[in-house]
Amino acid sequence: MLETLLPILIFAALALAVLGAVRRIRLWRQGRPARVAILGGLAAMPRRYLIDLHHVVARDKVMSNTHVATAGGFVSAAALMILVHGLGFDTPLLGGLLLAASTVMFAGSLFVARRRLDPPARLSRGPWMRLPKSLLAFSLGVFLITLPTIGVLPPGFSQGAGHWLLALVLAALVTWGLGEMFFGMTWGGPMKHAFAGALHLAFHRRPERFSSKNGHAGRSTGLKALNLENPEAPLGVETPVDFTWNQRLGFDACVQCGRCEAVCPAFAAGQPLNPKKLIQDMVIGMVGGSDAAYAGSPYPGKPLGEHHGDPQGPIVARQGKALVDAETLWSCTTCRACVEECPMMIEHVDAIVDMRRFLTLEHGNTPNKGAEVLDNLIATDNPGGFDPGSRLHWAADLDLPLMSDVKQVDVLLWLGDGAFDMRNQRTLRALVKVLRAAGVDFAVLGNEERDSGDVARRLGDEATFQSLARRNIATLSQYRFLRIVTCDPHSFHVLGNEYGELGGNYTVSHHSTYIAELHDAGRLAFAPWKGGKVTYHDPCYLGRYNGEYEAPRNVLKALGIDVAEMGRSGFRSRCCGGGGGAPITDIPGKQRIPDMRMNDVRETGAELVAVGCPQCTAMLEGVVDTPAEVRDIAELVADALVLESDSGRSKHRNQPAFEEVT
Amino acid sequence: MQPDSRPFEVAVLVSVGRHPLTGRARRADHDARGLELALGLGRHLDRLQVRAVHAGRHDSGNDTALRGYLGMGLAELTLVEQPDGADVIPALATVLTRSPPQLVVTGSRAECGEGSGLVPYALAERLGWPLVNGVVEVESIDNGVATLLQALPRGQRRRLAVRLPAILSVDGAAPAARQSAFGPAQRGELAPLQEAGVIDEAFAEWTFSPARRRPKRLKIIKATSARERFKAAAAKAEGGGGQVLSNVTSEQGAEAVYKLLEEEGVLR
Amino acid sequence: MTDDVMTGIARRDPRKEWIARNRLHPEHDRVLAELGKGSAAAIEWMGPHGVIRKNPHTAGFIGPSGLKRIDRSGLQQGGAPSVAVRARQESRRRIDIASPAFLVAVVPEMGGGRLSHHDRDLLGLARQLADADPDRPGAVLAVLFGGYKGEGEGEPKERALGEAGIDRLLHLTSDEYEGFAPEARLAALAAAERELAPRHWLLPDSPLGGADLGRRLAMRLEERPATGVWQLEADATCTLGWRCTARGAAGSLDIQRPLPRVALVLAECAEPVSDTLHAAEELTLNVELPANLTRIEDLGQVAVDPAAISLGEAEFILSAGNGVTDWEGFHHAAQCLGATEGASRVAVDNGFMPRDRQVGATGTWVTARVYVAVGISGAIQHLQGIQSCEKVVAINSDPGCDMIKRADLAVIGDANEVLAALVDLVESRRPQAKRGESRDAA
Repeated sequence: MLETLLPILIFAALALAVLGAVRRIRLWRQGRPARVAILGGLAAMPRRYLIDLHHVVARDKVMSNTHVATAGGFVSAAALMILVHGLGFDTPLLGGLLLAASTVMFAGSLFVARRRLDPPARLSRGPWMRLPKSLLAFSLGVFLITLPTIGVLPPGFSQGAGHWLLALVLAALVTWGLGEMFFGMTWGGPMKHAFAGALHLAFHRRPERFSSKNGHAGRSTGLKALNLENPEAPLGVETPVDFTWNQRLGFDACVQCGRCEAVCPAFAAGQPLNPKKLIQDMVIGMVGGSDAAYAGSPYPGKPLGEHHGDPQGPIVARQGKALVDAETLWSCTTCRACVEECPMMIEHVDAIVDMRRFLTLEHGNTPNKGAEVLDNLIATDNPGGFDPGSRLHWAADLDLPLMSDVKQVDVLLWLGDGAFDMRNQRTLRALVKVLRAAGVDFAVLGNEERDSGDVARRLGDEATFQSLARRNIATLSQYRFLRIVTCDPHSFHVLGNEYGELGGNYTVSHHSTYIAELHDAGRLAFAPWKGGKVTYHDPCYLGRYNGEYEAPRNVLKALGIDVAEMGRSGFRSRCCGGGGGAPITDIPGKQRIPDMRMNDVRETGAELVAVGCPQCTAMLEGVVDTPAEVRDIAELVADALVLESDSGRSKHRNQPAFEEVT
Repeated sequence: MQPDSRPFEVAVLVSVGRHPLTGRARRADHDARGLELALGLGRHLDRLQVRAVHAGRHDSGNDTALRGYLGMGLAELTLVEQPDGADVIPALATVLTRSPPQLVVTGSRAECGEGSGLVPYALAERLGWPLVNGVVEVESIDNGVATLLQALPRGQRRRLAVRLPAILSVDGAAPAARQSAFGPAQRGELAPLQEAGVIDEAFAEWTFSPARRRPKRLKIIKATSARERFKAAAAKAEGGGGQVLSNVTSEQGAEAVYKLLEEEGVLR
Repeated sequence: MTDDVMTGIARRDPRKEWIARNRLHPEHDRVLAELGKGSAAAIEWMGPHGVIRKNPHTAGFIGPSGLKRIDRSGLQQGGAPSVAVRARQESRRRIDIASPAFLVAVVPEMGGGRLSHHDRDLLGLARQLADADPDRPGAVLAVLFGGYKGEGEGEPKERALGEAGIDRLLHLTSDEYEGFAPEARLAALAAAERELAPRHWLLPDSPLGGADLGRRLAMRLEERPATGVWQLEADATCTLGWRCTARGAAGSLDIQRPLPRVALVLAECAEPVSDTLHAAEELTLNVELPANLTRIEDLGQVAVDPAAISLGEAEFILSAGNGVTDWEGFHHAAQCLGATEGASRVAVDNGFMPRDRQVGATGTWVTARVYVAVGISGAIQHLQGIQSCEKVVAINSDPGCDMIKRADLAVIGDANEVLAALVDLVESRRPQAKRGESRDAA
């Protein structure tokens, strides 16, 4: 009986799965078109899965092995099962392989089940609690029905009257397994992640973020430009169908593992954001409905069941509630911790900025100081509304060379808007001192410099960003320089990664990178460190956005500092709370992000925390009652400088030639 | 007046502003607050029709500034086209007389040109309508009477009732204008309206220069005797560092603070 | 000038001094009275060396127990104005312009029923216009609306107004001018124009003072006024013989133009009158002022919570930082002082104050005249935000903090205690201040 039943079951499940896949694909395709290399993507998919995705999954060894066993076992068991039981190639070899595959899968499923015994808070429950049982059912069912194939059990074991019951149980087990694994994969069960995830990898909106065969480590963090010339082109995302189809596909790939939730600084601070819930809300939005069935942690302070979405309806209501509240979107610091952790390579920050763009460009509803900051950027080219002619006032005594005078230099020093902030002016003075000590040929744009557009872009004001960027690019095009050096990672990121799309391609270095190079070249000498314990805070826009984790540490090492690392450092560094315009939109939470970060500092027992970002400096220095002093790397270097005249080393270009004269 | 039968019409006069630091064209601050006030009337009225009117020349230099008003949520801005150097008051008066609204809202003064703040007064005199300046809020509109709050110095407020139709002028004390959104600003329409221009001849005869810093008033000591003259000449210059009171009781400290507050006249 | 100096020198009469010392001399009382400048029994007089001499025998009164009591609190002398005030008044040259060639009309803003600094500057400017030609002097006419509240020292109205440089006075006290009554006031000014036809109309260009009324008047008179005027110079080529410099384009332009009949003038446009005394002769209008149809009705002032005033608008800010622990006391203090509440970033972050109360580069940039920082150590961003405050008072327990360095007056001590003491002080002195206040508001 099973011999006749199994092919029917298998092909029925497969047919239903194909039907579901078509429906799901059509659902994704309701989104906006996106230019995607279909075949190239599909061809690259295995490599993206096995290398890039696995690289992320492997950060948790147990889970990684569990997944390899379960998924690997399932994929091979499913293929073999179709052959053996569906098409009737019941050779002992195939049967044996199928038994092995289902055994591996069974073992993996046991680990999945073990994790579900007492799941951590970040994991979603609901249908996900059923998954290990389904996995076990499938693997066990397949194992048992395959036993006769290799002759362990006689072929006719289920034919006796007493065996009817056993056959029924086996059929039910297999049906359950097939239902979850095949049907559920495309109709919306937990296994949906396998189907959507595979296609998401193939058609990812940032194919350049994956590594390539020639050893190029992939990284793609710059936001994509909006088309502002075309009046028909939409300004950001209003409704779920306004996302591009491959973004929608990406949302469906989510496994609700909650790694994003665990690292999100806004979630930890009790602000109403949970990246996992946000992605799930986008999934709800695609088909419409309420979030009541969502089985993970909600947005802090926002009970489930109060928000409803509609495929064609607005995601954020102008008044009242829709799918997501605006303050959820404005809580994000764009620190990319969620994207960095996501094993499914989902781009949360892109989605958030897309929705913010609509709120700012169409609703005109940037919260709190947002509108004022944007108006300032439009009118004065800096977020503080300062007189743009006073950008260099802090350096009145430094006699900085101006690009407009020298036209050509090795290093263009990009000051950033920190030039208006009295705290950051100390960092800038230190950096100038260091550059002078190393005899670097540098100049500044002075009053010709404008805000890089970082804040405007993260606040969703693409129009102001592009206006600033185009004017900056026009200014920069008048001069010749080998590279841009800046102490502001936000400017660094925007100039280096986001101006390219608008026609500005530059070599940009963070000051820590450049100082490290100068030191390696022997152009800087440092007195040994005499202070206490030091820790280092990785700025998001330097680390996760640009992969620069080593240079600042090398500089600190060169200063003779042995960095006491915080629990969360490097790619897992916790945001200071200063990115993405978060201090401007200022969404209240239970605690403040910089306070949490200073607690991390406190745990190391460090007396000083070295930073490399004006935003981080301002945020961390704003924490009261902390034992640790906040200093920029440039300041530490400037303090430790041993000038050549003291050490009697060879002179550099900028050194006045008085020795030869006398 | 039957508010149900036809919408309550408000005309907001808007001008091209000038940023005080950079001189870039922008929404004029007071005018934008005026438009905000007008748009906010929706709270009191079922049917509200807000019409923004700009009289002047439209060119690429002020397009963004004018569109800034559209970005506050208007589909259209009436552009009463006037030649350079025209006195806009006759044209505005003509436009307002032709289709009179129940309420005209203006900023208290322009940020370019003469900036004398006369437009609302000239219009009030020409139209024969009452005018209230420094309005910060319209509390209600009822039976052709608007109840308003007017700003007094130091954040104080005065309640006024004015018979409509009326002109309200708005200054920096009124609630800040909403953000101007890029999308609506680009899509909104500048509806031109040709109107004969009257050249402002007096204006053309004046000379203009960037504002000079006004001299700081010096304390003139009128000494009537040699003794006073000597005292004045020998007096120590005031100022320098601040006064620091340490090791004083709370009462002594409070006394010193009280004295300063009283000298500055901020205690009421 | 020499006369002044001569009278300033004390001349001695040894005989009178001797009589004044000798209580038994028959002329003793008369001489004392003479030295004491007039009062029947002089208590004190200027001695030969400029030292004040006292006669204890004429001072005092017989108390209930039959003993003589002398009140040294100074109350007894309250009647006579102090020497300094007398000297000031007498040093002024009295000027009467009997038949003026023309009138310069001034409408002072009269905030609180008194001439403001702005008004005095304006009157100084009016004098320049009136006195330009010594042969044909004009007279300054002031049009005053509402009650006159005096100068605080109990001087008569004519004297105080005369000192400010007013020759003629049109004082309109009817109820219809009270509060916001632009229509009634405008009608009165129009009547004055018809009857007195002043050559110039000067009004202060101050919000809710003359800025509104002046523009209305100009439009009624069909004159194009000069607004924001801050400088005048004689120029015979102009119709009225004067050329003015006025601020335009929101204060970013200077406009040079002939002075029109109506001018709205900024503060500090001229020095106030300081050495002449004018008649301040009261005029009345002959025509009956028509009853006005008022379309604007003043419903009275609205009670505004000082704490709710926006920080940018506030003139007096009491700002709290990390050093404040008694929040109840802080709010009470702000209310008691009539100050607008501000806060440092820390106080806001910790949830004690709302975000819109944050002062500083990342909050609101404030322009208050007086800024009292309570328990604020003064982060750079905070100090940036209070750059344009005129007077900064710091109350802090840390003598080394940056706010103390910035402050014009710093009190080192526990912020909560000093604040509480300040509240006590204000409340104990309140009765006097309150009475003055209620008179002003009337």
